[in-house]
Amino acid sequence: MTARAFVGRPSAGPREAADWSRGRIVANNLRSVVGRAFPRVRGMVREPSWLLFEILLPFLTTCSFVFVYRALRAPPEYIGFVVLGGAMTAFWLNVVWMMAAQLYWEKDQGNLELYFAAPMDMMSVLFGMAIGGLVMSGTRAIAVLVVATFVFKVQFTVDQWGLLLLVFLLTLAALYGLGMVLASLFLMWGREAWHLTQVLAEPVYFVSGLNFPVAALGRLGALALATIPLATGLDAMRQLAFEDVQPVFLPPEAEAAILVLMTVFFVLLARFMLRNLEERARREGRLTVRWR
Amino acid sequence: MTAPAAGFDRTATTLFDPAQTRGRGRIDLYRSYRTAASLGWKMEANWTDPVLFFIYSVAKPVSAALILVAMLEVIAGPSGREYRGFVVVGSALWSFVISGIAGLAWSILDDRERYRMLKYVYVSPSDFVVVLLGRGTARIAVGAMGAAITLAIGVVVLGVPFDPVAVNWPLLVIVMALGLEAIVVIGVILAAVCLQTRQEAWSYPEAVAGALFLVSGAVFPLSVLPMAIQAIGLANPLTWWLEGVRHALFPAGASAVGGPGSLYTELTGQAAPDSSTIVLALLATGAVVTLGAAVAFRWSERRARDRGLIDQTTGS
Repeated sequence: MTARAFVGRPSAGPREAADWSRGRIVANNLRSVVGRAFPRVRGMVREPSWLLFEILLPFLTTCSFVFVYRALRAPPEYIGFVVLGGAMTAFWLNVVWMMAAQLYWEKDQGNLELYFAAPMDMMSVLFGMAIGGLVMSGTRAIAVLVVATFVFKVQFTVDQWGLLLLVFLLTLAALYGLGMVLASLFLMWGREAWHLTQVLAEPVYFVSGLNFPVAALGRLGALALATIPLATGLDAMRQLAFEDVQPVFLPPEAEAAILVLMTVFFVLLARFMLRNLEERARREGRLTVRWR
Repeated sequence: MTAPAAGFDRTATTLFDPAQTRGRGRIDLYRSYRTAASLGWKMEANWTDPVLFFIYSVAKPVSAALILVAMLEVIAGPSGREYRGFVVVGSALWSFVISGIAGLAWSILDDRERYRMLKYVYVSPSDFVVVLLGRGTARIAVGAMGAAITLAIGVVVLGVPFDPVAVNWPLLVIVMALGLEAIVVIGVILAAVCLQTRQEAWSYPEAVAGALFLVSGAVFPLSVLPMAIQAIGLANPLTWWLEGVRHALFPAGASAVGGPGSLYTELTGQAAPDSSTIVLALLATGAVVTLGAAVAFRWSERRARDRGLIDQTTGS
């Protein structure tokens, strides 16, 4: 008797059942993206406390830096720098907490082995996390930007809306690409991941010039522009959203090109690292050992 | 007939001793605290490379101070250097606040969501709050290290003027003790919140600390805020703690509470609060927050028990 396996269609055996068409693979991965994004979006509705803790309170943190500039009687565009930086931190924190550290936490919760065993690409899981996280961080960023603009009367002078939007999207792509790379690294580093989330907050804000032009940091700022998407994206958006930003290293067009390179590099690197990890997970079985 | 369980058989040679369930009062509390603190330290630090751990611990507060110093330098240039002491002390001490608040809240999340031990800890004979305080101690120690290193970098590298002879040491000791108590009780409030929330509450302590940053005069004087928000700042024990530490370290330095345009000066007619006013205000505001924390934690604990939240795990 021929063994039969049913995976959406009758088949002669497991080997034939595992032989999926390209369309089926794509559809399955798209379903995985939606499936992984769903709990993040649904979770926002189930517990509204995030409105206070993820939007209102971080907005107050941004206000603190606005008042630092007010106390120093800084030019008004600097208030705008803080507001823009405050909006972009939402994405960075999302990348660090809900992308980079997520696979490590999934391992602790016992979900990671299910991901590796499921017939899908791990990139789909990470992409789903990114989309789900973007809904929350996007809401926070818009809230900070809109409310702070009205409260502190920030004047934006945008001449190139298209380029500004492009730079913003490229920044997100590069940031989440970096998040995917970090997710693999955090998984390998284990418990150090917890400490790394701390190191990736204020130190990155400082070298990225979150509240001031990154070129003010000299060589350190130049290094950040070449390696950290947050620094590159913020500097380009600052130049496109405000008049006469000084000092600067590169024009926004050049920074947009750097962001394209970063996106390609990080996504390819993430793909390579995840493949390696998956292979290790299957061969050694160590990646499912918890709390290490 | 089956034999009664040990302790319930009055004829057995080993009689059930009800006194054993009462414990040994303070000795047990101390033992719980010491064990929890030791466990906290082991979970936090002793498994990692000491050099890496040191870098992790100081990178955050030092960078926070450097952000503010860079902002000062970009706007005010060399003329802004007189304010460096103000912002360096404020941002260094803030690492205590973040670690103190996060320590207790993360203990709840760690034990419930990651290690899934909260229910066992909860039903153990140890006092739950004492265990949480012990677990939070390790993180406060890490925060203290970060604060000390940031201050040292401020003095040695950034040129913050510091004269040990001019420091008001008794005031410093008193306000540090009262301030740490205030930080811990704010942490208890946040632990009460985390008992009710889901896994994503990891970032909540930082969000709360960030919001308190606005109304504490940590890096700018309260006088730049609207009057209503200044009033909230004056009711906040952290404002008086920071003012007290600054007053002790730099007796002739700028005040974050008083000064032209401040609510404090308008109400009292004084340019800046003196040492005794600071200590009294810190005591009063600290007492109110402590009372609030006790009420909030008991309410949260009861609700968590009723709704089965103590062994709940979540994820998204």
